[in-house]
Amino acid sequence: MTSLVPGGNAPVATGSITVEIAYSPIPGADIDVSAFALAESGKVRSDNDMCFYGQPNVQGGAVQMADASSGRAVFNVDLSRLEAAVDKVALTATIHENKASFDRVASLKVTVSGGVEAQIPTSGMKETALILGEFYRRQGQWKFRCVAQGFAGGLAPLATHFGVDIADAPAPSPAAAPTPPPAPPAPAKSAISLSKVTLDKSRSSISLEKTAAGFGEIRVNLNWNRGKSGGFFGKSKAIDLDLGCLYELQDGEKSVIQALGNQFGELDYEPFIKLMGDDRTGAVAGGEWLHINGKKWSEIKRILIFAFIYEGAPDWKATDGVVTIFVPGQPEIEVRLNEEGGRLGCCAIALLENDNGAVKVTRRVDFHSNQEPMDKAYGWGMRWRAGSK
Amino acid sequence: MAVSLSKGGNISLSKEAPGLTEIVVGLGWDARKTDGVEFDLDASVFVTGENDKVLNDSSFIFYNNKLSADGSIEHLGDNRSGAGEGDDEQVNVKLTGLAADVKKLVFAVTIHDAEARKQSFGQVNNAYIRVVNKADGKEIARFDLSEDASVETAMIFGELYRHGAEFKFKAIGQGYAGGLKPLAEAHGVSIG
Repeated sequence: MTSLVPGGNAPVATGSITVEIAYSPIPGADIDVSAFALAESGKVRSDNDMCFYGQPNVQGGAVQMADASSGRAVFNVDLSRLEAAVDKVALTATIHENKASFDRVASLKVTVSGGVEAQIPTSGMKETALILGEFYRRQGQWKFRCVAQGFAGGLAPLATHFGVDIADAPAPSPAAAPTPPPAPPAPAKSAISLSKVTLDKSRSSISLEKTAAGFGEIRVNLNWNRGKSGGFFGKSKAIDLDLGCLYELQDGEKSVIQALGNQFGELDYEPFIKLMGDDRTGAVAGGEWLHINGKKWSEIKRILIFAFIYEGAPDWKATDGVVTIFVPGQPEIEVRLNEEGGRLGCCAIALLENDNGAVKVTRRVDFHSNQEPMDKAYGWGMRWRAGSK
Repeated sequence: MAVSLSKGGNISLSKEAPGLTEIVVGLGWDARKTDGVEFDLDASVFVTGENDKVLNDSSFIFYNNKLSADGSIEHLGDNRSGAGEGDDEQVNVKLTGLAADVKKLVFAVTIHDAEARKQSFGQVNNAYIRVVNKADGKEIARFDLSEDASVETAMIFGELYRHGAEFKFKAIGQGYAGGLKPLAEAHGVSIG
């Protein structure tokens, strides 16, 4: 076994190897281990070269995160299968949300199969993000170097160091948001967002400023607990939630998009909103999707995202439903249907409004007996008739 | 095309660049990109005679003694952080001005305050030494030594030495623990 000190290096075996990172966990602070496939410049070539909890398989499987549990992370790495342009693979550890620094981690050790290990000296370390070590090419051979250096500012400066664009977490906006300032110039490049915004009672709205590249495709996902089969004697309680929206365009056109009545919409033409098929059981991974053509955001006035229960008991809290709004280059926005809805079958979840070009998302989570009273409550002003699918 | 030397390799400067009279020895490394205390690296030259010891205390050229007594060797100054492109420190050597009893110039780099800062050469990226012909600015030889270092805090990067009537340059890459003081003492400098 070759033991490396910071700065030391050793050759590693060719072919498939296992890299284990073992550490003493810190109570109340998660440690995330990631791997970055880097070009000769020391930067990633694209955000797809960052292997982390949100992207466990990169380089066509040559770098895979095989385990990430408390106290341990394991990567399967096949250096020979990396693309030729990849010159280095850096292993990093970061303390989530910079809740502690690495001097709180009593032991931190990297073991590379084939007989290389490195104990990272954490005593006195103020860093919250560390480059543990790196695999690198040297005269046609792969070697591993123990680095043990990092950043006090955590994952963001570390990712920036490796050339990954990190979307800034938006600052919490006050409840009664004043008119937002004109959209600031923003980079047109896409960025990986490490943050997630949860809209809840204490923070119910967020404004996404328009970037030079527009919004791209805005995707709205509804996912929910598929319901338990209840075993031998239990009743099947499969719940069917449907995703839909009311929309109003700038030209005054307004209607509904929902599976009921086969009103799926269009992306390239008005209303620039499309329901991507209906999942009757919720068993299909990913639930239901509604796409909005962000390039046409300027033609849209407002969209009310809703869910309704077509069959099954309207026990909203038990559905454990969650709506996630994905806007390219922006943090995910999550709204949980964690309220009691009584026996009402329709839930207005989120309102997307065109606010001087920005997308203002407001959490609603209020309940109505069906679409018609919901329409009235929001002043949409359409005429309704019953339908089925 | 400069000759890229590996550890222990040597080259005849006189043959590579006929008529060579003055060289610039450039030493470089990359600045620290991570957080923590900056690396402060210092280049020094030991001017030694037959016995590998300095001829006298003034033939130890370093940040507090930048010019040799006869003016043939001049240290061009200290770059504190390694920031910027190109050489971080340079030493000018007038080969024709070197006294006859000068047999060897030993170029060393040490990490300032390495022990307290817990720093070593393994943590310094892209360290090199190169020899440039002063007359035309062309690089004659280069040695990239990052790979051979790990825990060392002082390193001899290379040596310029007389071989008969020629001047040769040898890539050394030999590290020492303990920094500049023991290295200087090993070369016969009395440190006060």
